[in-house]
Amino acid sequence: MSLRRDPLGPLDREAVRQGADVPTRVHVPGDGDGISGELFHHEVHRFADGSRVPGWREGHDPGKDAAEVPDPAQVAVPEDLRAEIEDYMSRYPDPRSAAIPALAAAQRLHGWCSPDAIEQVACVMRLTPGYLTAVAGFYDMLETRPVGRKTVYVCTNISCSLRGGDELLAALKGQLADDPDVNIRGFECLGACDIAPMCSVDGVYVGPVDDAEIPVLAEQIAAGADPLPLKQLVRRRVADTAANSDGVEVEAIEAGTIGPVLHTDGPATGGNDIPGAAR
Amino acid sequence: MTHKLLFHDIDEPGLNTIEVYKRRGGYQQAEKALAMARDSIVKEIEVSGLRGRGGAGFPTGKKASFIPQGKMDKYLVCNADESEPGTFKDRELMQKSPHTLIEGMIIAAYAVGANKAFIFIRGEYVQQAEILEAAVQEAKDAGYIGPNVLGRGIDLDLWVHRGAGAYICGEETGLLDALEGRRGNPRLKPPFPANQGLYQGPTLLNNVETLAAIPHILAVGPEAYAAMGVEASSGTKLISVSGNVQRPGNYEIELGMTGREIIYGLAGGPDPGRDVFFWFPGGSSSPVLTKDDLDLPYDYNSLAGAKTMLGSGAIIVVDDSNSVVDVAVKTASFYKHESCGKCTPCREGTNWTTKMLKRIQSGEATPMDLDVIESVCDQIMGNCLCVLGDAMAMPVASMVQKFRPQFEQHIETARAANEARLLAELDAAAPVLEGIGH
Amino acid sequence: MPRPEINEITFVVDGREVVAPAGTMLADAAKLGDVDIPVFCYEPKLGQPVGACRMCLVEVEGIPKLQTACSTPVRDGMVVNTETPRVKAAQESVVEFLLLNHPLDCPVCDKGGECPLQDISYGWGRGTSRTVEPKRHFEKPVELSPLIAIDRERCILCYRCVRFSQEVSEDYQLILHERGADTFVGTFDGHPYVAPFSGNIIELCPVGALTSQAYRFRARPWDIEQSGSVCTLCPGQCNVSYTVRDDRVMRVLSRQNDAVDDGWLCDRGRFAYQSSYVDDRVTEPLLRDGGVLRPVSWERALAEAARLLGKTPAGLGALAGGATSNEEGWLLRRLHADVLGSRDFDSRSGASGPAVSAGLLAALDTPEAQATVPDVEWAHSVLVLDSEPVDDMPILDLRIRKGVRRHGMRLAVATSRPSSLDSIAEQAVRFAPGAGEAFVCALDAAVGGIGDVAGLAAAAGADAAQVEALGRMLREAGEDVVIVWGERLTHGANPDNAARALLKVAGRLSLLDDHAGAGLLQVPSGANGRGLREIGLLPTAGPGYREPAAVGRSAQEIAQATIAGQITGLHLLHVDPVQSFPERGLWEQALHAGAVVAHAQFLTDGLREHANVVFPAEAGAEKEGTVTHPDGRLQRLRPAVARPDGARPTWQVLSQLIAAVGGQATALTSMMVTSEIAEAVPFYAGITHDEIGGFGVRWQEREAAAAFPAGETGPFALEDPRPAASPNGALRLGRFRSVWASPEVAHAPALKFLAPKQRAELNPDDAQERGIRHGQQVTVTATGEDGSAETIAAVAHLRAAAPRGSVFLESGLGAESVDVLDAALVHVNSDPARPA
Repeated sequence: MSLRRDPLGPLDREAVRQGADVPTRVHVPGDGDGISGELFHHEVHRFADGSRVPGWREGHDPGKDAAEVPDPAQVAVPEDLRAEIEDYMSRYPDPRSAAIPALAAAQRLHGWCSPDAIEQVACVMRLTPGYLTAVAGFYDMLETRPVGRKTVYVCTNISCSLRGGDELLAALKGQLADDPDVNIRGFECLGACDIAPMCSVDGVYVGPVDDAEIPVLAEQIAAGADPLPLKQLVRRRVADTAANSDGVEVEAIEAGTIGPVLHTDGPATGGNDIPGAAR
Repeated sequence: MTHKLLFHDIDEPGLNTIEVYKRRGGYQQAEKALAMARDSIVKEIEVSGLRGRGGAGFPTGKKASFIPQGKMDKYLVCNADESEPGTFKDRELMQKSPHTLIEGMIIAAYAVGANKAFIFIRGEYVQQAEILEAAVQEAKDAGYIGPNVLGRGIDLDLWVHRGAGAYICGEETGLLDALEGRRGNPRLKPPFPANQGLYQGPTLLNNVETLAAIPHILAVGPEAYAAMGVEASSGTKLISVSGNVQRPGNYEIELGMTGREIIYGLAGGPDPGRDVFFWFPGGSSSPVLTKDDLDLPYDYNSLAGAKTMLGSGAIIVVDDSNSVVDVAVKTASFYKHESCGKCTPCREGTNWTTKMLKRIQSGEATPMDLDVIESVCDQIMGNCLCVLGDAMAMPVASMVQKFRPQFEQHIETARAANEARLLAELDAAAPVLEGIGH
Repeated sequence: MPRPEINEITFVVDGREVVAPAGTMLADAAKLGDVDIPVFCYEPKLGQPVGACRMCLVEVEGIPKLQTACSTPVRDGMVVNTETPRVKAAQESVVEFLLLNHPLDCPVCDKGGECPLQDISYGWGRGTSRTVEPKRHFEKPVELSPLIAIDRERCILCYRCVRFSQEVSEDYQLILHERGADTFVGTFDGHPYVAPFSGNIIELCPVGALTSQAYRFRARPWDIEQSGSVCTLCPGQCNVSYTVRDDRVMRVLSRQNDAVDDGWLCDRGRFAYQSSYVDDRVTEPLLRDGGVLRPVSWERALAEAARLLGKTPAGLGALAGGATSNEEGWLLRRLHADVLGSRDFDSRSGASGPAVSAGLLAALDTPEAQATVPDVEWAHSVLVLDSEPVDDMPILDLRIRKGVRRHGMRLAVATSRPSSLDSIAEQAVRFAPGAGEAFVCALDAAVGGIGDVAGLAAAAGADAAQVEALGRMLREAGEDVVIVWGERLTHGANPDNAARALLKVAGRLSLLDDHAGAGLLQVPSGANGRGLREIGLLPTAGPGYREPAAVGRSAQEIAQATIAGQITGLHLLHVDPVQSFPERGLWEQALHAGAVVAHAQFLTDGLREHANVVFPAEAGAEKEGTVTHPDGRLQRLRPAVARPDGARPTWQVLSQLIAAVGGQATALTSMMVTSEIAEAVPFYAGITHDEIGGFGVRWQEREAAAAFPAGETGPFALEDPRPAASPNGALRLGRFRSVWASPEVAHAPALKFLAPKQRAELNPDDAQERGIRHGQQVTVTATGEDGSAETIAAVAHLRAAAPRGSVFLESGLGAESVDVLDAALVHVNSDPARPA
C-alpha cells in the first residue's frame, strides 16, 4: 500500500489556510538553513515505532516453483555438512530434532541461513525448506538475512543496562560500523549479569568492559584476536568468597587461571574450538 | 556458616574433568543410586524437600513420581536454557562442575526409568556447551553413560542439545518443541510432560541446579538436606545477584536469609552514596519489592506472602540513580521480544504494553495510559497459554502500582520537555518559513 | 485402529443441563445446549486444539484459572459458565487485543459480512478500543500464489492456515516467519504456496487475510446464494457448495461430509468452475460441414446424429467418460444395447486391454468386501496399490494422511512411480511399470506364505525381500486392513488374472468376509467409474453385474474395429479418447475412420479434428442426476445454475436420440431415469433422489443390497503373470496422470498455470549414464515392433527415489502426452537440437 505523503508540511498548511498560495515546489531545507530538517521530515506517525515488521513487503516470486522437499538428485550438499547433519540426526529418536543444530552448522558454513543453506539442510533432513525457514526465523541466533561472520552480542537487558550495557553497545557499534565482517547486535540477557556490562564475541563472554577498554576490544574484534583475555568470563572466580576452601584458593591462584582446565583436543562433535585454548 | 554443597571448592582447577571430579568423590552417588530401588531414590528426593530451581519451585520428588511406570520410552531433559534476566547460576555450575550435573542426571534417569536424556543448553552458552560436551564424552568413556551403565544392565544415552536464542525455550513445553526441532512454542497443558512430553513420551524435565543437587542430597542424606534452610524452602540455593551492587555474582545460601543480608551482606549493596530503589527478588519476571521489603526472609513462602516470588533466585538491584520508567520499558521490551506469538494476550498484550511504556518514556502519554497498562496487565495474567505473558505483566504492573507517583511525574516532565523543544524548533524555523512561497 | 466407543455424559453450561458425547470439547458440546462459545483458532478438522487465540476462555467450576473451551473435554457433572463478569472481561480483552493490529477496512474486505472476527467483535467485544498505538503495517495484499492473495495486516495469527499446510495436507510450505508480534504467514524465500489442497486455507481463514484471487471483489455475502452438489472431476466426489450470484458460479466451497471428504477440497475442485465461463466452451450443437464444425439447430444436429448412429447398428461403438452420471450412462446404454442392438461400449477411462469379467467384478465389489472412506482412516493398516491418490482421487490422500498422523494407521505403498505417500509409509515397494498383475501375484504368495515369491517378484521387477516384508506387515498389523487399489491394476493384458490375484490376497487377509472396517476400496480411473460399472456400461457386464448375453468389444477393440471398418460410428459421451486413452495414434486413426457423435464441454484435440456432431454438455454445476462413489455411496448432483442459452441437459439429448433412432423415449425427467436404473439394478431397488438426500446413501447399507449377485468365489488358480519387460539398455516406460492434467484445468484461467508440461522422471544414475542433467531437454523415443519410431520431447527431471531402469512420463497432456508412445521400453537421450 502506498500512502501518499502530503506535499505540504504542517506549517505550509497553516499558511495556506491563512490565504497564501499553495507552494508549487515544497522547499526542502538544505544545510545552510540553520534549522533541523526534522520538522519537515518527521515520519507519518502511523509508520513510526517499527510498526513495519521485517518482511512486510514479501509476496511470492512468480518465477519460482512451490518449495517442496528438495530432491537429493537436484541439490548438491557439501559432504562435510551432510556428514555433520547426519550425525546430529542419528542422536535423536526423531531425526527432525536435529533442525536447530543442523541450521547452526549450515550457518557456520554459509555465514547465515541463506536460501541455499536452508535448501541443503532440507535436502539432508528430508524436510521442506519452509519448515526450516520457520525454525530459523524463530531463534535469535539463526540469521535469516546476510550478516558479518564475526558475531558480537552485547547484552542490553536490565542488569547490564543498569551498568552501562546500552552505552557499550553504542560505543562498539560506533567503532565497528564500517566493518562488514562484524555482526554486532544488542542482545537479550546473555546470562552474565555478574560481568555487566558485557558482550559475547563469537561465544566468548567478556566483561565488565570499562570505557577505556572499548577501543581495544573493538580492535580485537575487527582483527579476530582474543578479546580482552583477562576479562573473559571463564577466568572468573565465583563471587561467593566462602565457597572455596583456602587450599583451593591458593591452588587456583597459583595455577594462574581460575576456572576449568581446557581440553585441547576439543569436543568430538564440532563447533568452535574452546576459546582461550586455541588462541 | 552456610553449607556449601554445589559451590564447595567450585574453583578447584580441573574440576570440570572427570579425573579431578572423581578424586573428590564424584560419581560415588551414582554408583550408590544404581544399586538402590528406583522408588527409594524418588522417596529420598521427596524427603529432602528439594523444589525445582528453575523458577516454579515445584517439589522435585513429586514431579518425578508423576512419571508413569511401564515399558514405553521415557525421557529425561535437563533445562539448561537459563535465560531469565538476572539469572546466571546454572552457567557457573555447568562451566565449573559439569560432572555434578551429569551425575545428577544419571541418578534421575535411573530413578524414573528414562534411557534417553538431553541437556538443552541455551545457544549463547557456547563455552559452557563445549565444556559440557567434553564432560559427557568423558563420562561415556568411563562407562557412566552408554549401553549397560556400570554393568548394571541399564542403558542411558545423553546428548547436549544447543538452543539458538529464544527465552521461551526455558518454558518446559517450549523447550520440548525446540528439542523436537520445531519453533519453540509452548504447548497446551494438559497433557503435562510427565505424561506426554518429548516425542509424546513421559518426560522428566528439571533445571540444572535441581539435577545437580541430587548427588548432594544422596551424599548428605535427605534429612540433613531438609534440615538446611527453612521450612518449605529446604537445602541450599544458588542465587545470582546483579544490577547496582558492588559484588555481583553467584552465592550459595540457605534460604531464609533476609534480602538485606544478601544484597548488602553478600553483594556489598549499591555503590557508596546510593540507596536501593527497588529490587527484583526472583528474576525480571518477579513483581518488584522496595527497600522497605529488604528485611523480608528470602524463601519461597515469605516472598509469596509479599505477592512476589523467589523464581530462579536472581536478585536484580536497582539503585536510586535510575528511573523506574526506564526499567519498566526494558522489562516489557524484553518480554515483548521474547513472546513466541502463539497466544493472543501475550503477543498483543506485551506489544501494546511496550508501546504504551515507550510513549510514557518519551513524554507522549497521559496518566490515563497507566490505567490502561494496569488493566492490560490484569487481562494478560492468567489468560495466556504459558507464563511468559504473566512474566511481563507481573513486574510491570507491580512497578506501576508501587511507583505511580514517579510514573506520573515522569510523564509530566517529559511532556514539558517535548513542548519546550518543539517551541524552540518553531522559533528557529520562523525566519525560513517566512521565505516560503511568499 | 478400531474406532473408539463414545458414551454420553451430562454437564451444565450456563445453568442448562446438556447431554453430550464424553470427550467432546466444551466449545462443541456447549452448542448442544444452544450456548455459543466464540473461537478463532479452534477447528476440529485441523486436529488437536492448540488453545492459541484464547477467545474461548470459560469458567469451569473447581478450576481457578479460566479454561479454553476448545481444549477442555466435557466430563460428567462439569459445571461451566460462559457469561460471568470474569469471562466477559477476558473475552472483551481478547477481542480488543486482536483488533489492536487489525485494520478496520471491513467495507472493502471480501470477508465482510461472513467474517467470524466481525461477528465475534460485535457479539463479544467491548465496542470501543483504548489503543492509540500505530498498527502493524504490511503491503496489502500480496500474492501468496496465483490462486491466493494474502493481506497480512488483517491476519490475527490464528495459525489455522499453517496448521492445515503442516498437519493436514502435510505439504509444509506455508509457515510462520519471525516470532512474537512480528510473526507473519508466508513461504520459503518467496516461493508461491502451490499445493494440491492450498485453496482450503481460504475457507479456513476466520478473517479476510487469505482471499481467493478468483473470487476477490466479485460478490458480497448479501447478494450470493449457496447451492449444494457434488464435484464430478474425480472419483473422490467431494461434496461442494456453489456460491451463486446472478445465476453464475462465483466460487466453490466445501460442503463437509465426513463420510466422503472430511470438509476439504482440492484446488481443481475449488477453482475449475471457472472453466464453465470461458469462450471456447461448446454451448450449442455443432455439425461438421465442409471440414469445419459449425453451429446448427438442435433438430438438425439430432437428425444428423441419429443418421450417423442409426444407419449401421451392428457396427457402433460407444465410450463414456468419467464425469458421466448414472442417468446419462444408463440412457447411453439403452440407446446402444436396447435400441440399436450393439454391445460395444466401455466406460473405463484410459483403459487399454480387455475388461474384467462380470463374475470377478462382482466378487471385487461385493458389499462384504467393501471398505468405506472412513475405514481408511481407522484401519490398522492400509495398502495403497498401484494408485497415486493425490493424483487419482486427491481427497483420499488427506484421509490416508489423517489415519497415519492421528490414529497411528500403518501405511504401505506399492506402486511403480515413487509416491507422495512414501515419506509417511512404513513400507514403500516398487514394481516395474505395467507389472501390477505380476506384483499382486507375488504379494499373494508373500501374504499366503506359499509359492514362489522370489520368482514372481522378479517377474514384477520388485525386490523379493520388500514384497515379503509387505506381506508380513499386512498379516500382522491387525485385522482391519484396507487395500486401496487403482483400477489401472486391471488395465493390463490379463485383467482377470490380476483380479483373481487381488481377490486371493484379500481372501487371505479375511477382507472378503463381512468384517466392518476392513476391505477393498477401488480408485476408479473415472469419476463415476463405479456407477457406470454397476449400471452395466461395460463390455463384460450388464446392469447389476449380470453376465451379458455376449461380451462386447473393449475400448481398445472398438478402436481397432473402427480402423478395420467393422465399426463405422463412434458415440463419445464426455470423453475424447485421443486425450485420455493410451495409444493416441490408434485412436486418431479410429476417429478418423469412423463417424463421431460426441457430447462435450470443450473441443479437445480429437473432437476438434474428427467429430461430426458435437452436442454441448453441462458443466458440473449445471447438471442433475446421480453418481456412485467408489465405496458405493449414491450421491446427487443438483443444478446450481442454469445451462448456457441453447444447451440442453445431456440426459435429454440422449433421450431424444433414442426417439430419433426409433426407440421409445421413456424418460421425461432426470428423476425418471433414476427410477429406471433403480428397477434395472437389483441392489439399487427403490432408491430415490429423496432418499439420497444431501449426504448420499450407501446402497450396501440398504436392504436391497441382499440382491447383490454372487460373484466368483474361487478357489482361484492364478496363471503365470506376464513378466515386466527387461530394460536391456533401454528404460521401462511408466505413465502417470497428474491431478492437473484435465481440460478443466487447462481452461480455468486461475488454474492454467498448473497445467503440466511433459517431463521425464529419471533416476540420477540412469541420467548420468546417458549424460543427462536435471532440467535438460531430452527426447524420449519408442520403437514399434514394425521398426517405426515415435519421439516426444520432455524436460529431464531427476528424482533420487525413481527406480533404476524406468522413466516416467505424463499422460493426458495433448500433443506432448506420453500416450503418443506405444511401447513398454523407450530410449531417453539429451536433445541434440536443444542442448542444455
